[in-house]
Amino acid sequence: MTDTTTQATPPSGDERDVLVDVRGVKVHFPIKRGVIFDKVVGHVYAVDGVDLQIRRGETYGLVGESGCGKSTLGKAILNLEPPTEGSVILDGTDIASLRGEELRRRRKDIQMVFQDPMSSLDPRQSVESLLVEGMRAHGLDTDGASTKKRLRELLAAVGLPAAALTKYPHEFSGGQRQRIGIARALSVEPKLIVADEPVSALDVSVQAQVINLLEELQDEFDLTYLVVAHDLAVVRHISDRIGVMYLGGLVEEAGADDLYGQPLHPYTRALLSAVPVPDPTIEDTREQILLTGDLPSPSNPPPGCRFHTRCPWRQETRCDDERPPLRVVQIDGVDPSHRVACHWVEQIASGEIRPHEVAPVYVAPGDGDAGAIDDDTFTGPASVTEVI
Amino acid sequence: MTATASPPPTTTRGDAPLLSVRDLRVTFTRRGEKPFMAVDGVSFDVRPGQTVGLVGESGCGKSVTSLAIMGLLPKRGNTVEGEASFEGVNLLTLDEKAKRERRGRDIAMIFQDPLSSLNPVVPVGLQVTEVLERHRGMSRKAATPVARDLLKKVGIPDPDRRLKDYPHQMSGGMRQRALIAMAVACAPRLLIADEPTTALDVTIQAQILALLKELVQDTGTALVMITHDLGVVAGLCDEVNVLYAGRIVERGERHELFADPRHPYTNGLLASIPRLDAPRGERLTPIPGSVADNLPWDSACAFAPRCSQPVDACVHTTPALDETGRRSLRCHNPVR
Repeated sequence: MTDTTTQATPPSGDERDVLVDVRGVKVHFPIKRGVIFDKVVGHVYAVDGVDLQIRRGETYGLVGESGCGKSTLGKAILNLEPPTEGSVILDGTDIASLRGEELRRRRKDIQMVFQDPMSSLDPRQSVESLLVEGMRAHGLDTDGASTKKRLRELLAAVGLPAAALTKYPHEFSGGQRQRIGIARALSVEPKLIVADEPVSALDVSVQAQVINLLEELQDEFDLTYLVVAHDLAVVRHISDRIGVMYLGGLVEEAGADDLYGQPLHPYTRALLSAVPVPDPTIEDTREQILLTGDLPSPSNPPPGCRFHTRCPWRQETRCDDERPPLRVVQIDGVDPSHRVACHWVEQIASGEIRPHEVAPVYVAPGDGDAGAIDDDTFTGPASVTEVI
Repeated sequence: MTATASPPPTTTRGDAPLLSVRDLRVTFTRRGEKPFMAVDGVSFDVRPGQTVGLVGESGCGKSVTSLAIMGLLPKRGNTVEGEASFEGVNLLTLDEKAKRERRGRDIAMIFQDPLSSLNPVVPVGLQVTEVLERHRGMSRKAATPVARDLLKKVGIPDPDRRLKDYPHQMSGGMRQRALIAMAVACAPRLLIADEPTTALDVTIQAQILALLKELVQDTGTALVMITHDLGVVAGLCDEVNVLYAGRIVERGERHELFADPRHPYTNGLLASIPRLDAPRGERLTPIPGSVADNLPWDSACAFAPRCSQPVDACVHTTPALDETGRRSLRCHNPVR
């Protein structure tokens, strides 16, 4: 504990202080319809009430399937997507409430690494210009000689030759481009780096290079990461703590070893059991929890527990109508920092509640049809793309 | 399969290969550029009921191999050499009409992106009945209940109503199921699946893989599984071919291959992926460089610049595929 700011204390006692405190963040996108009048006919509840703390120097992993809101949450933390509600406190300032010039200046502290290194780098800017741009915007480009030195340091840090400065993005391979993206994020000495699917666009053999690089840089520059990814093995490898998202909310949060060692939420269990392991012997014997059906539409999320439409452990009471909060569980041997959003975790863990068959419910994408509730009529709002 | 199963496979699980690919070469030519050999002498066999995996990274030629076998490569700009004999008939020399007759009936294919492989303006049901009408001579009226059974078989809930749905009304997983229903409509003896789960989420991937496994077991269809995901291969394939830069570098039975990878590339791939079953915190061992560093196969081993244990021979002699043992291997200095 080096500096004491006016932050709320984290729920779990940890020696490291909290860098980012996300409280009740919601991001709702309006669905509009109409030619002349933009009538709001509904909302996509992309992120619907998330609390999380990221501690200095740690890597927080956010996993979930497509459409669960993990990327939107990542963007909301940077205020690239202004949250509809809630606060994101970084070093005592609420990023979510900042606007204009003030926000621009604070962005120095939070940088982002994007998924696709081809589309996130301007093809007409040389590497030098790409890297200097951010430094200039934040007043770090004061004199030519020190900037040059800094650029060489940056390239060396991400493992690119100094000759790369005069080249353009198309002259690099995917892995090298991602390195440039990382160097650009590093150039303004941020406190937090949000990496949205940093390796999923890369080939398997190159993924490991970038994962190792991210780890080395963290040790070298004391960085804090928020890594958003769908690949559970990658997230487990890189993260200290992990939050699992489902349909706009966190369903489980724990240290990486705890989460993978003893997943408690039914969704986490199913998710982990679905990941194929490159070992035939394990594959042949492994027990899989096959989820039926698809993710319900975030524009019409099921009431109660968001997962109840697909949950093999669903109960008659509470699951359908009461949304479970993320809470500490009362199970022996489970770390107090392990939090789960399920009414029945204890009973499921003890084997008191057995899984049962779930009939798949049909879910149409972008449609308001949220399965069990309203299966027969396609009366939901139009898709987001249907603005006109 | 339900009542839709057509003639039982003529050959049972045996030694006669159903598909035998020999020395397949695909060269792409573009004006003003050097010809590029995407597939460079690939040979493999698929026996009835067997699941064969083609694994490799992007650009290794795995998809081009399958497109060449199916005769789906564009007419211009490429040359296909070699042989792909399906029950004794060389698919590569058939005329377009005969190819059309076989595609969909004897050999079917499932693609990676189900949205771009389905016709967006035709209801899904019609797209399934179309196959039945074309290859099994059924009337639309007779084909509809069969199509409904097929959709049900692949796990699409409420198939009656889904028949009238357009592809955009379905989720990715459902679309892939519909595509599988079309592929298995005529009980093909060979199914080629090109990255069938890459565009899908893990929980949906698990559903589709379970479905494919079940289909193979129930119908005795042979399956060629093309993927970059070693985890998928480990659970599904009987035999695994590892491709690098257009050539097969290692082939083996899956248990043996994964337990004891002998080619440095296979070994490197396995060491470079984070695994759920390994202790956390272990550093990954990446394969250095990228495919851009490859050497041409005609005078060296293409993988040599990225190899963890190159010897002198690697940079001036082309390694041959040694097929003498149970394991086929193309390497001058194998692991162990």
